[in-house]
Amino acid sequence: MKVFPPQLWRNKETLYTLIAGKCNKCGNIVFPYQEFCNKCKSFNISKIKLSGKGTLISWTVAYQNRPGFEKTTPIYVGYIKLDEGIEIVAPLTDVDESNLKENSRVEATVRKLKSDSTNGLIEYGIKFRLV
Amino acid sequence: MVEVLIQDSSMLKVDKHYEEGLLDLAIKASKEILNDQLKIDALIVSNSYSEKTADQVLLSTKLANSLGINTLTFRIENGDASGGAAISTAYYMIKSGMIKTALVVGVEKLGDFPMHFVNDIISQNLDEKFSYREGLIPQSYSALRMKMYMKKYNVDYDYFTEWPYLMHKNGAENPYAFLRFQADKKTISTSQVVSDPLRLFDTSPRADGAAAILMTSDDVNLKTEGKVKIASITSANSEFNVLELPAVREAFNKTKDFKPEILEIHDSYSINAALILEEIGLEKGKSLSMLDSIQVNFSGGLKSRGYPGGATGIYQIAEEYMQLTEKFPGKRASGERGTVISTDELGTTSYIINLQRC
Repeated sequence: MKVFPPQLWRNKETLYTLIAGKCNKCGNIVFPYQEFCNKCKSFNISKIKLSGKGTLISWTVAYQNRPGFEKTTPIYVGYIKLDEGIEIVAPLTDVDESNLKENSRVEATVRKLKSDSTNGLIEYGIKFRLV
Repeated sequence: MVEVLIQDSSMLKVDKHYEEGLLDLAIKASKEILNDQLKIDALIVSNSYSEKTADQVLLSTKLANSLGINTLTFRIENGDASGGAAISTAYYMIKSGMIKTALVVGVEKLGDFPMHFVNDIISQNLDEKFSYREGLIPQSYSALRMKMYMKKYNVDYDYFTEWPYLMHKNGAENPYAFLRFQADKKTISTSQVVSDPLRLFDTSPRADGAAAILMTSDDVNLKTEGKVKIASITSANSEFNVLELPAVREAFNKTKDFKPEILEIHDSYSINAALILEEIGLEKGKSLSMLDSIQVNFSGGLKSRGYPGGATGIYQIAEEYMQLTEKFPGKRASGERGTVISTDELGTTSYIINLQRC
């Protein structure tokens, strides 16, 4: 068994809906969400849902993988500036490489990440595609 | 004021030691510097991945029992910076006056597995909630770094070949090196693409290894062949930053007056070598064209000596100790002051360890 339901369940807000933490004192956004601001050290944090929209700053194509991700290799990986101002590294999907350009607009979509086996549990998560 | 000395070191050749387990390697490295007269006050094991690579925990107690030592034992884990963290721990314990001797043993086994499984092991360095779950690998972070560096400083891929070329040239002389061969620049620049533009020679070979360091206070007189003082240790950490290594910069700035003549840096990727060198003073965007001006990684670095995970920092210390005591069996550096920069895979934590010949 490679996919354990409790691990996915407790990360569902991160992996399915891009929930982040916004500091009510200094405005700092932390993704994934945590109950503490790592800039001003405040505990006054609100949950916000990131828009999932952003701009592609750069990207790479990974030809190596990890167990469970063989079917989606090579893996396109983007360095993305989300509209809320934070920068994240995340997988890209539905990629036609000739269309990948710096400053392309991208949006988040939920996709299958991996599964235990052909009949096993499926793990889903966020990937980004060109708009 | 108590001074902290390194009085002995040992290391095994970094390799794929299929015939030996984690404990076997640790015992081999330890026994080289133990003797009946030596009283060890603390045994510290530096290891990062044993739960996943050897299905083992309680390493320091098991090693102590195997060595017949009944003392204070613990393991230090801080990813691939575990070595720097372990040395720092022993340093502060001795400095405090609470103990006089510490045996610090770095050990790791990463050679048993195919690459995709090793990738899974090292990807534990990424955050669990998002990056690890999403199937990312650290090589992609380094590839993004490299690509953005190339754009910012207007350099092409050939610029990066300077680093693995020098590392393999140095490592070819090091009998402890894993990949002990020279590599020409064409071989480097046409090697397999791992994550575009990062190629195989820009990464470091994960393998097995064990190294040990004997640290003491300055009032412990042993009949060893050379003593080196730990002049200072600093550390810092930061979040992942694409084009900078704030953790290295901040730790180095706390001790910039030391002015080392010999460097051992954590070159997990060629781009990390460039960024580390630039954070400690070389010109940004040009560091890999200035390698003739410094004495760096005469061991061959992670690229040629090899990358034994959480044991890496102990290798670096052992290599610098041997350089400063003129015992290193490979390419010799000149100087009386050396610095080890121990970091994790992506440079988010760093330990700057300054060594001075006694």
